[in-house]
Amino acid sequence: MTGDTSFFAGFMDDYFAECDEHLGAIRRHLLAIESAGEGGVDRAMLDDLFRSFHSIKGISGMVELRDAELLAHHLESFLRRLRDGEAQLTADGLDALIEGVDLLERTIAARREHVPSPPAGDVIDRLTGAALETPPAESATIGPADQPAPSWRITFAPSPQLVARGINVDTVRARLRAAGTILDATPRMLPDGIAFEFAFAGELDPETVEAWRSEGLTVERVDAPVVASTERSITADAGARAVQPSHVVRVDLTRLDDLMRIIGDLVIARARLEDSLRRIVKHVPAVEWRAVQENSLTIERQLRDLREGIMRVRLVPVSEIFRRMPFVVRDLTREQGKKVRLQLDGQHTEIDKFLIERMLDPVLHLVRNAVSHGFELPEERVQAGKPAEGTLRLTAAGVGESVVLEIIDDGRGIDAGQVAARARAAGLPVPAGPLDEATLLDLICTPGFSTRDVTDRASGRGVGMSVVKNTVQELNGTLRLETARGEGTRFVIELPLTLSIADALIATVGDRTFALPQPSVREVVEIDPAALRRVEHQEIAPFRGGVLPIVRLARVFGIPAAPRPRLHVFVIGAGQDAVGLAVDRIVGQREIVVRTMADPLVRVGGIVGATDLGDGRVVLILDPPALARRARAAEQQPAGAS
Amino acid sequence: MSETFILFTVAGTTYAVRSREVAHVEMVEQVTPVPDAPPFVDGVVFSRGQVVPALNLRARFGFERAPYDVRTRLLVVQSEGRSVGLVVDAAREFIRLDGAQIQPPGTALTDLSGRYLEGVANLDDRLILVLSLSHVLNFVDPVVAD
Repeated sequence: MTGDTSFFAGFMDDYFAECDEHLGAIRRHLLAIESAGEGGVDRAMLDDLFRSFHSIKGISGMVELRDAELLAHHLESFLRRLRDGEAQLTADGLDALIEGVDLLERTIAARREHVPSPPAGDVIDRLTGAALETPPAESATIGPADQPAPSWRITFAPSPQLVARGINVDTVRARLRAAGTILDATPRMLPDGIAFEFAFAGELDPETVEAWRSEGLTVERVDAPVVASTERSITADAGARAVQPSHVVRVDLTRLDDLMRIIGDLVIARARLEDSLRRIVKHVPAVEWRAVQENSLTIERQLRDLREGIMRVRLVPVSEIFRRMPFVVRDLTREQGKKVRLQLDGQHTEIDKFLIERMLDPVLHLVRNAVSHGFELPEERVQAGKPAEGTLRLTAAGVGESVVLEIIDDGRGIDAGQVAARARAAGLPVPAGPLDEATLLDLICTPGFSTRDVTDRASGRGVGMSVVKNTVQELNGTLRLETARGEGTRFVIELPLTLSIADALIATVGDRTFALPQPSVREVVEIDPAALRRVEHQEIAPFRGGVLPIVRLARVFGIPAAPRPRLHVFVIGAGQDAVGLAVDRIVGQREIVVRTMADPLVRVGGIVGATDLGDGRVVLILDPPALARRARAAEQQPAGAS
Repeated sequence: MSETFILFTVAGTTYAVRSREVAHVEMVEQVTPVPDAPPFVDGVVFSRGQVVPALNLRARFGFERAPYDVRTRLLVVQSEGRSVGLVVDAAREFIRLDGAQIQPPGTALTDLSGRYLEGVANLDDRLILVLSLSHVLNFVDPVVAD
């Protein structure tokens, strides 16, 4: 029985993956259509869209997701009418199409999350209604009407079957000549034979295109007018497209996770081997030892390469997040009467697939917030001496082992006074005096804080700023805020490129073992407990001419631990923010395989995940910045709380 | 429509959970305590390479914890996209129940574990309490929250 369910689960995974692919292609086309205006629709695009909806309809039927099947059916019919010239794409039609796609996406997502499908509302009526509008008589083809002669790329691949039907390159050429002008003809070698590519200019009605297609010709509308001199770039482009699909393999993320886990096990096994080798070193003659040592180091290096290779496979471009944003911005600006131009930079920056999935909602939220709260109405902007149209920039860039995402608006900026007032009204503690950006960020990220009604559709979808911050921190990243009144707001998210394997320091407290991500540890020192002084309820140690507040992990976590003659201390943070995290003993440094601990039952402050040191026992990974914050918060509270 | 259930015992009472909601049943070993987790969470364990919380059902239902022994089991259940291990006294039986055999819990059972129940079934004179996983796994206790 479990066999059946897991088979079905795997089947559904395939279904979702395939839907994702089609929906991605659909969104790209819709964007292109939208940015080109109503005249920018070409036949090839409509064909692609039609095929994508058709596929989704088919596979939705197979998994018995009737709502998606029905919706895809209506979208497909709508596209068919457009493609066949029975209807023209109006602004209303485009809206209906975009809404239909949005609903389709949400319907599929609802199935994935095992919740009921969202209500279809009037989307289907609008699709059937929009499609009924007949085009004006003179422009039966969709496309820029004033362009003299549309250009086409027509490819003919001869085959024995076609030749038997009397269709060869000469008859094709004659047919093209009769219909228009052949600008260029190029023979091209394909993996399975030869093909002739014609650059052609002329009016082709849909019937002719359909007839030619049924005879084995590929007919593609070319946006820019083709002239003979561009022939080289066209063939290069077409060649690249012809080759691409066969070199791309779609892999289920869980299979990569399995591989990663195996590599993780290898890393652990090698660490153990290293330990055993170190124990026998004195019993082995130096000459033989050297060979053993060299082999061991080679394995380590190869393991590292293997690990990096797998990590690279997991990387996907950040455009998977970005490409959804134009729709969100478009809907919101329309709804709220705002004018916002969206600029996307660094879309090719690559990031771990897992991070992409987790970051989608937070980025969506920041973008929605920017449009809803960040930007002024066009008239306010003009009054303030700014262009009526605001600019929202989303940027991504790889910086060493991290990726930086920025969401930048040139809106009104965050009003610190207003934030403070709202926070007080919500019963949140607000420090006196002017608020710096870090405090501002803390306040707006506090659960229960909202700058507008929670029923506001844009920000009322369950993902608040607190979730944004939590998600970023869970992923071991940082969130920063920069804002200036009247000039705009910038959110900066820095994330590690990948999460799976990290260098860590291993420490013990009482009978517990913990791991600390090495990058967060600035220094490791040993302190004599006798040197500690108590100021109010905080222990401090003299350190580099100043003092270092000491946080004992045993106390923070309430772990029984016997007094030790020496304390091992991790120095976390720099300057004023430096905190010493005291443990019983630091036992070593290891490469660890990071596993998430996402379940709400065990999502606690100060712990970011878990790992395994090879004995099957879970070792918790500490979150030093969170522990330091906690320590600073405790400073302001009476002793005995922790 | 009948479905298969896995039966387990906690503090002398027999409970049932749908077998399709159970990923696997394991011996309990090496639970790592998690500081600041809710009191009914024993800690986390590795289960097939995944870190899952170990939720002690005795503690969840307000009984005294019992030391783990050879019969103690971890039922790794899947609900609402989560994987959670339930620590139970024993889990051995597999039964088939018809939908009609499951009655609403009724007022007599609303105390103690009653609010974690989806229903009650009588099978060969045995009382079987059918667990509502979403209530058991929800951290915020609905009764306390009000």
